[in-house]
Amino acid sequence: MTESVPQQSRQSAADEWLRTLPCRIGQIFVDRTAEGAFALRHRDDVNREDLAVYRDAEAAVAIAQYDDAGVYRPLKTAPNLRHGWSLMLADVTAVRVALDLFYPGRIPAYVAWRRGTLKTTPLRETLERQTGMYRVTAKITDEQANELVGSFCRSDGGCLRTIRWDRDIQGAPPSTLLPETKFDPAHDQMGKGEPVIPLLCQEPCNLLVAEARKVVKGSAE
Amino acid sequence: MASDFGSSGLLIVGHGSTVNPDSSAPSLSHAAEIRRRGIFGDVQCCFWKEEPSMRDALLMFQEGGIKEVYVVPNFISEGYFTQTVIPRELELSGRTTERIDGQVWNFCEPVGNHRSMTELLLERAREVAPGVPESEMSLLIVGHGTNLNDNSAIAAKREVEAIRQLGRYAAVLNTYMEEAPLISDWAKLTTTPHVVVVPFFIADGLHSYEDIPVLLGIEAAPSGSASERQRAGEVFRHNPHHLHGRSLYYASAIGTDARFADVIVEQVESFARDQHSISDNFARGLVA
Ligand code: SF4
Repeated sequence: MTESVPQQSRQSAADEWLRTLPCRIGQIFVDRTAEGAFALRHRDDVNREDLAVYRDAEAAVAIAQYDDAGVYRPLKTAPNLRHGWSLMLADVTAVRVALDLFYPGRIPAYVAWRRGTLKTTPLRETLERQTGMYRVTAKITDEQANELVGSFCRSDGGCLRTIRWDRDIQGAPPSTLLPETKFDPAHDQMGKGEPVIPLLCQEPCNLLVAEARKVVKGSAE
Repeated sequence: MASDFGSSGLLIVGHGSTVNPDSSAPSLSHAAEIRRRGIFGDVQCCFWKEEPSMRDALLMFQEGGIKEVYVVPNFISEGYFTQTVIPRELELSGRTTERIDGQVWNFCEPVGNHRSMTELLLERAREVAPGVPESEMSLLIVGHGTNLNDNSAIAAKREVEAIRQLGRYAAVLNTYMEEAPLISDWAKLTTTPHVVVVPFFIADGLHSYEDIPVLLGIEAAPSGSASERQRAGEVFRHNPHHLHGRSLYYASAIGTDARFADVIVEQVESFARDQHSISDNFARGLVA
């Protein structure tokens, strides 16, 4: 016997934060309209009136795909979310679908962190797990890793996530080149000093792993 | 459908790309379609090269009382990804993995293994060349080469063999982009007035928008001016192409077919069915 669970119930734990609106997550501003709907837009666009309006949560896929210059965004938490749009959604379920598409995997990470169950994985462990063409990344030196993370993950121009992982099992910092605020979930990585729901990084991403490969390959030549 | 998946999650695993959005597009649209049907308690995607990653997926399905998660690889065949990368990243220890919290993750077969692939390829051919008599048509299935660390070439051969057995087409052939029989030799490989080309790929992308059209001779080397998307629309809209005195019909990648959503659901159902029959047999064994 399996009991059937209504779709709505999966919201209860995750979306209590949507009760206190407006709220900000990454570069997105979420507010309630006079009609009781939800409105999402770029945080830079809060006072703009000339926004293109979308009403389907799945529109987030297309909005998040390219930056203002039309360049593909391989990293959805990079600080280059497109401007000029507004997404009007009827209910919390739709908001959740949209945010999962704008910032894939970030809400589950946030929920786990709030519950105190977010498991983080050190950079060294991620690199040592690799196979195939990425196995070589395990050879990156601490100095190289320090430099790579310091430039690739930085909030101004790199990635807006708050890093929660360490460099290794001994707890070395990911990079001494990053400010302390890069590791602080209370800090607004967009630099506006506003209260935000943080985009947490619980494990080095595959883009960083691919960069590590370039570093190791480059130094071998 | 015998099973109730209301307390089950569905996780579609795709390859994804750091260069363009086309690789993940079919997985996302199949997920949206399945979500609309309301079969599962939760439907999510994850990717090797895109977000959310497989590691991110480990944090999903924590809400709403999800007891079981079905993992369906949106891949053409078993291979490096289904056998090494996915189990490693998702921490799967076999067909069934129980997490510390008791949640069970079921590892289903890749979509390309599904028996309906043959029918979908035939459908694609019919749609791209409507009304063309099959007896005057050669069907070319384009696959990745055998040099890749996977079995996609074997899967493509299996499909070609199955279609050939039907005896409906004048000819059915396997072709590849970089090894013989080369897709660029299509005119030499075939003798019929009509030739239909279907890529046996999970997603469109540079291969289907650019490389294969160039190899077929229906497009000059890319100028770089038009966006990929525009080129894609063009390349699939101009069927048939008249070349070498033949009519050439070129289809988009098989994995973009909306019916792949059904295939994904069926991979889950067939896993659940197998599991039940195993436990039924076990129960019968006990009684006997
Ligand atoms: S490792 Fe984390 S912080 Fe660094 S770029 Fe990747 S997602 Fe951003």
